[in-house]
Amino acid sequence: MNRRTGLLFVTPALALFGVFVLYPMVTSFSYAFYGWAGTARQGFVGLENFTALFTRAPFTTDLPRALWHNVLFFVGTMLVQNTIGLTVAFLLHRRARTRRALQTLYAMPYLVSPIVIGYLWTLLLSPTFGPVNTLLTKVGLESWALPWLGDPDTALWVVILVSVWQWIGFPVLLYGAALGGVPDELTEAARVDGASNGQAFRRVVLPLLVPAIGTVSVLTFIFAMEAFALPYAFGGSTGNPAGSTDFLSLLFYRTAFDSGSTDAIGTSSALATLLFLLIFGGAFGATAVLRRHEKGITG
Amino acid sequence: MTFRSRRTGTALVVGAGLLALAACAPSSSSGDGGADGDSTTLTVWSWRVEDKAAYEKIFDAYEAKNPGVTVDFKPFKATEYNKILATGLAGSDGPDVPQVRSYGGLQTTVASGSLVPLDDAVDLSAWDENIVAGAKGKEDGKLYSVPLARQATVLFYDKKMFADNGIQVPTTWDQFMSVNDTLLGKGITPLAVGAKDDWTLPIVHEVLGASRFGGAAFQKSVQSGEKDFTDPDFVASVDVLKDLEKYMPKSVTGVAVTDAMTLFSSGKAAMYPGGSYDLAALQTANPEMDLGVFQVPPAPGAPSGSEATTAGWADGNFAVNAKSPRKEAATKLVQWMATPEFGQMVADDIKQISAVPGVTYSDPVLKDVAANLDANGSPYLLLTDFRYGSPSGTDLLGKGTQELFLGSKDAKTVSTELNEGVMTWFEPTS
Repeated sequence: MNRRTGLLFVTPALALFGVFVLYPMVTSFSYAFYGWAGTARQGFVGLENFTALFTRAPFTTDLPRALWHNVLFFVGTMLVQNTIGLTVAFLLHRRARTRRALQTLYAMPYLVSPIVIGYLWTLLLSPTFGPVNTLLTKVGLESWALPWLGDPDTALWVVILVSVWQWIGFPVLLYGAALGGVPDELTEAARVDGASNGQAFRRVVLPLLVPAIGTVSVLTFIFAMEAFALPYAFGGSTGNPAGSTDFLSLLFYRTAFDSGSTDAIGTSSALATLLFLLIFGGAFGATAVLRRHEKGITG
Repeated sequence: MTFRSRRTGTALVVGAGLLALAACAPSSSSGDGGADGDSTTLTVWSWRVEDKAAYEKIFDAYEAKNPGVTVDFKPFKATEYNKILATGLAGSDGPDVPQVRSYGGLQTTVASGSLVPLDDAVDLSAWDENIVAGAKGKEDGKLYSVPLARQATVLFYDKKMFADNGIQVPTTWDQFMSVNDTLLGKGITPLAVGAKDDWTLPIVHEVLGASRFGGAAFQKSVQSGEKDFTDPDFVASVDVLKDLEKYMPKSVTGVAVTDAMTLFSSGKAAMYPGGSYDLAALQTANPEMDLGVFQVPPAPGAPSGSEATTAGWADGNFAVNAKSPRKEAATKLVQWMATPEFGQMVADDIKQISAVPGVTYSDPVLKDVAANLDANGSPYLLLTDFRYGSPSGTDLLGKGTQELFLGSKDAKTVSTELNEGVMTWFEPTS
């Protein structure tokens, strides 16, 4: 197949991509550099919308706080979801007969919309009618019956842990596939040479999983930076209570659609641009580092 | 596998980022809006999906009087409406008569030049000025729409529960506090408040504290720049909420507003501070319940002359799209929406308090609320005057009140932060 035929085949996809993704993206990038009166574009303002994000209320307080919550969400998800996910995948890998069925079961919650999940957990954790606190009180753990979503100290972690609960099947599937790609001969050889189970895992299997761990980490990073639906279902667009479940996407949503100021399109486009640069830059950097590391293993 | 997963990773990175950007791009669309001979079809857009049948009935009455005119009522999901309307008005296939938001929420639409000024078409000089203010452009002071309904902050109470416990409707603050104590003593939650939803808290503050800061008089002095939110009377009104916290459900910041309503309608709580817009939901939740309303008497130290008040605001207006090819017919429809005939139908069919003066109400609760508004009305200040910029007054007080309940801030700090936030964009009129 020559170059021209190849081009012909990708043209439809490229055209769709151009019209529905590239064009809106470039235009909204350009919106960030203009003043706005409602939906009517005004003059070119340079970086004014960007400086507003760092100098004007409510951004001066909301932006750093939202970013910090996204970072905590990423760290929390990495530590809990991906560690448990790897453990579960490893345990499932050795149960050849029930593996597929169990993998499906673990993946079930993420077939449900995060909005529904958030709503259900809000009901479960309600301090007035919620079964969780009723149960805790019944078994004598009254001091544990906290206002889970009403206390800023616990609300963010509830959001993170429910997200972990929902998405646990995702690392299980990815790690499961990666473990399937590690030839059994390697671990068998290590066992013959006298390695224990733990040693074989740490020295042989784990290094071969680095590419998968890298992919999962990058995807987790993107996922955490974009978190929207679940926090929205838990705390609304303002990150209730008292902004303790606020995230960057919620701040963007508030700025773009809930704001009373007429230049909302400008500032929200600037915020979207920064968010894009953060996600793209972070993911790109991480991928570059991982690639170098992989070369070290395979090369 | 390494290669594939890396590629997928990169693709996802790019795709995800692109979506974040694409999400905020207003799109424009085109369509044809040609007139069609003798008959005219007017399109009306609204966010009230639940009122579709009522509006169709109302517009049938208009069609009967105006032969040749067909009104097509098209409601959209309320949470999506702002985006849909902005897109519709920017393109050429928007509605002839859009329902638009009030006060601050209207300004984006006005600034876009999407609406026709109506100063010469309708005369609202006999209407409540605080309601009409919600239909005007802040910048040029022109009238861009006709107010549809009035909402009011309301303290609902369970009449039967009051009677069963030998409680009278309080007329002084001391009586109000003893009502609360009596109920608490009987194991009933006196005040059903859902502080997990920050947007309800400025309304709760208005219901319980408006008479403490001085209602309409305070609004006038804030508008003129004579006073601001650091005023001791306003700080004290925020403190009223802290004093009343013990009468609210336990861990109040964890209680959602739907839970609070359920507590009230299931007979576990005696009073529910909310808005007139809650009436339909409360009546549906428990049709047996005998609902009543009363105004909270002023707390001690209230400015002299301050009395129990009901705070109100305009909720929703109808306007004329500047790009409509049928502007004349559209203006005529909007003119009709300012008549008592339309107002009465709003009251009877949509079951809202009409913005048109002189409308009568058959629902006893609605009747009481409307009477209170007319007799002792005051503006719901944070909505009527402090939603014209970002951060908005309601957002700041909502979050601040949560911090007050959580104990991380006191009333003075909450009021000071509210003041600092809104003063970044607020300009007094004098």
